[in-house]
Amino acid sequence: MKVLNALTALCLLPFVGYAQSQIFTPAAQNEASLKSLVSKYELQYNAELNNLPSKYKADYKEIYKSRWENIRSVFDKKEVYTSTAAQHYLDAVVSEIVKSNPVLKDYQLNCYFSRSGVPNASYIGEGIILFNMGLFQRLDNESEVAFILCHEISHYILKHTENSITRYVTTMNSEAVQDELRRIKKADYGKREAIDKLTKGITFNSRRHSRDHEAQADSMGVALLLNTRFNADGATKTLAILDDIDKDSVDMEACIRKELNTSGYPFQNRWITKNTGLLGGQAKLKKDQPLEDSLKTHPDCKARIALLAPMIANAAAKQDYLVNKAVFDSLRQAFKYEIVEYAFASDNYTYSLHYSLTLLQQYPQDPYLVTQVGRIMNGCFAAQKTHTLGKFIELPAPYQPANYNVLLQFVQNLYLEDFAGIGYNYLKAHATQLNSYPGFQNEFKC
Amino acid sequence: MIRQLFTVALFVCMFVTNTEGQSKLTVDKVYAAYLQNSGVIIEQGQIKGYFYLYQSDKIDRRTNEYTLQIVDENLNKVQDIKFEDTKKLSLLEAAYNGSSLAFLFKNEEEKMLQMKVYDLDGKLKFTYSRPYSKKTDGLMAQYETMHTDEGMNQSVFNLGDKGYISVLPLRDGRDQTYEVDMYSSEKKKQWTYIPEGDDQKFAMAEYLGATDSLVILEVIRKNRRMSGSGTAHLVGINPMTKKKVFDIDDEKDKWTFVPSSVLPVAGTGKFIAMGNYFDKDANIAKDASKGLAIYEIDNSGNILNKTYNSWAVDIAKHLPMNTKGKIDNIGYLYIHKMIATANGKFFIVGEGYKKQASAGGIALTALGAMAGGVQNQGVTKVVVTDLVVMEFDGAYKIKDAKIYDKTNNTVVGGPMSDYISQHTLAMYIKMVGSFDYQFTTGNPEENNFVICYSDFVKSSDYKGETFNSIRYNGTKFSQDKIELKSKASRMKVLPAKSGSVLVIEYFKKDKKLEFRLEKLG
Repeated sequence: MKVLNALTALCLLPFVGYAQSQIFTPAAQNEASLKSLVSKYELQYNAELNNLPSKYKADYKEIYKSRWENIRSVFDKKEVYTSTAAQHYLDAVVSEIVKSNPVLKDYQLNCYFSRSGVPNASYIGEGIILFNMGLFQRLDNESEVAFILCHEISHYILKHTENSITRYVTTMNSEAVQDELRRIKKADYGKREAIDKLTKGITFNSRRHSRDHEAQADSMGVALLLNTRFNADGATKTLAILDDIDKDSVDMEACIRKELNTSGYPFQNRWITKNTGLLGGQAKLKKDQPLEDSLKTHPDCKARIALLAPMIANAAAKQDYLVNKAVFDSLRQAFKYEIVEYAFASDNYTYSLHYSLTLLQQYPQDPYLVTQVGRIMNGCFAAQKTHTLGKFIELPAPYQPANYNVLLQFVQNLYLEDFAGIGYNYLKAHATQLNSYPGFQNEFKC
Repeated sequence: MIRQLFTVALFVCMFVTNTEGQSKLTVDKVYAAYLQNSGVIIEQGQIKGYFYLYQSDKIDRRTNEYTLQIVDENLNKVQDIKFEDTKKLSLLEAAYNGSSLAFLFKNEEEKMLQMKVYDLDGKLKFTYSRPYSKKTDGLMAQYETMHTDEGMNQSVFNLGDKGYISVLPLRDGRDQTYEVDMYSSEKKKQWTYIPEGDDQKFAMAEYLGATDSLVILEVIRKNRRMSGSGTAHLVGINPMTKKKVFDIDDEKDKWTFVPSSVLPVAGTGKFIAMGNYFDKDANIAKDASKGLAIYEIDNSGNILNKTYNSWAVDIAKHLPMNTKGKIDNIGYLYIHKMIATANGKFFIVGEGYKKQASAGGIALTALGAMAGGVQNQGVTKVVVTDLVVMEFDGAYKIKDAKIYDKTNNTVVGGPMSDYISQHTLAMYIKMVGSFDYQFTTGNPEENNFVICYSDFVKSSDYKGETFNSIRYNGTKFSQDKIELKSKASRMKVLPAKSGSVLVIEYFKKDKKLEFRLEKLG
């Protein structure tokens, strides 16, 4: 069995042998499969529209249409990962959950890996759960994967999204809200304050429900997990990981200084000069903490752990892996790279550069990552030449993490010739080792 | 244009989105905020952000609630300032000094000009008010008619971290003068500099720049008892002592120097002034200048060095021109910008303009005459021609010059162009914003700057407007062009933070307005 597992894992690895190391190759996306999935879900969506409540049907339709457009875009943008082996693995974990929870057998669960690097998972409607690679690669074992899935499945079967839509439509159409809107419309003065008060009340209510939904999904998720053969502490361990997930792990300034300093194009301090002050793009803005807390969609992770801990305190020790540890490990590894590739493919060069430089600290000289840095620099050069760079990069902003802002400012500080100089000389510095790697050659020749 | 487009954008953004059905009341059917006006926030001649003042509510018959939204140089909203004020309020200009923001408001109800200084958390620190009257009509007219490069301010400027100044034109009967107001951002303190003396009855001042201890103005003075165009002065005022430090008029000099721009030289206690120079008895508004003069002046007003580059000899070595400063096929040069780079180089950007026979005007005048009419349709027109970039050495002598071709652009036609002098025409072209030169951006302290101008191209590949840039990277110049006809229904390129432009594309079909910052070439 172990030999079989190991062989499966090897087949899964999107890495090819190169000299003494393995080089990542992005999995080819199956466009036919994506199209067929869109068609399937579109039929489902159309059927769903016919079954919407007749009262306020136009309102419901508009919201469901907006939700469908989001679902469609996930497939159109090729965000859904179509690797058969990865899908088999995810299906196997879901199947393990369903097997132990007969109540789920009546539900059509459609779980996919999303190529997004954002550490998140979500239920997006039509029975579709997206498990972002950015989250998967941060998890430590399969029981944590299982908890994430149990949590999202709970959102689905508890109809949280649908209930929120119903609540919103009925609230906005309620006599109380309509009377208030009529009163505000007739008023000559003080409309803004009255509208603010009304919308704040509705928003606070909605966010409170959203936090309640999370707590419910946590509880039900643990209940589902407890029925499986997975370790129940996967739940609290996952929440602990989520609690730390936004913390910067790399000193980006040091990373740029070290990684992009070449003899042919030495590092210059002006590359990382930070624009300070309120208008410099990285201001620390004062927050209205009570208001922000009221608007949070998720309860605090530590509070969530405290709520779940008693539920799993007496759970029997079970297994961290039921499907395949080797495949789990190989996927985690591959996903670190797939998010680099997807960020670039989805025209977010700065995300791709951030992931690449971060990963290079873990895997120095990695052929794919080195080539990717050159590819991004070449891409920025070409985009700036055609005055479209603004479509491919993000700008420094007060809401971005500090380290990412360092990288964003770095890109802002570069002149056209810097992109060419840094890219070319960075690749040149690695040419001896990587010359026979075809991807490298393509970028080096640019 | 920036205001109009931003108006659309914000108007759209301000609606609270919702997904209500048509028959019911929705938030956007009940409430909308209206953009009053918007503009750039300037610090030391660079765009640092943007402001949007919108009327967010009506409080009573005479009072509105306003929201002043502050957007940073990367288009992030960083502050919303709410306040109540008269419904007859407009925001004229804004400036930033790193530790505070200043806004010059016009309160029509109380007939007051109000300078409000806010801290970076959006808290009002000080309000400075002064009445406005017929005396300050010139300022209001300036806002309605004047065109400035780079979307820059006309009246309000920051004085490092000390505060802000405004330079106001004043008219009293037939007298015309000016005043300089200083507003502290550290403590509530304001003072006004008013020029004194008989020779100040006709004095027009233009802010040229500031050093750590000086506000430098170009002042054109004319004593009504005298005829002629008046005299040009470079006036330095110490904003702390409220005293005039110098008033350079070149009376004893061989030439009359008319400064048009100054550049402080950081850390040296001196600045450079550049402008045209004329014969001593020349009429500076009508007569041809002799060439370009560059003065090095210390902060006490001592002229350390004077360098003259004559059209006839010095500049003619690099450009084909006559003794009156007219360049073949280009005409006269209007000087737009002076740029000093860290590597000791010095550049001047000019643009050609000339009178040209107007075929249409001649034909119409001739036809009119044949019909017995006496009306002159204008037999000449004024065209704006090519862009010229001149390079000067460390001694401020011209070293090189290059002409950048662009399509001639007719800006003035009719009888006006027949009778008005070349220089007056240039002032008029500048005032109405008809030069193709747009702005210069970048970091000269990093030996990097970009000169931007518009053009109209007629070629087999493309016919339409273009946004052009000439970039200096410390060693050489390179050119770039953005074609303004794109998939978008409308495209506009506007000045933005240093080294970048703001590209705005409007897609009519999708009713979508897209903004993005683009780094220049």
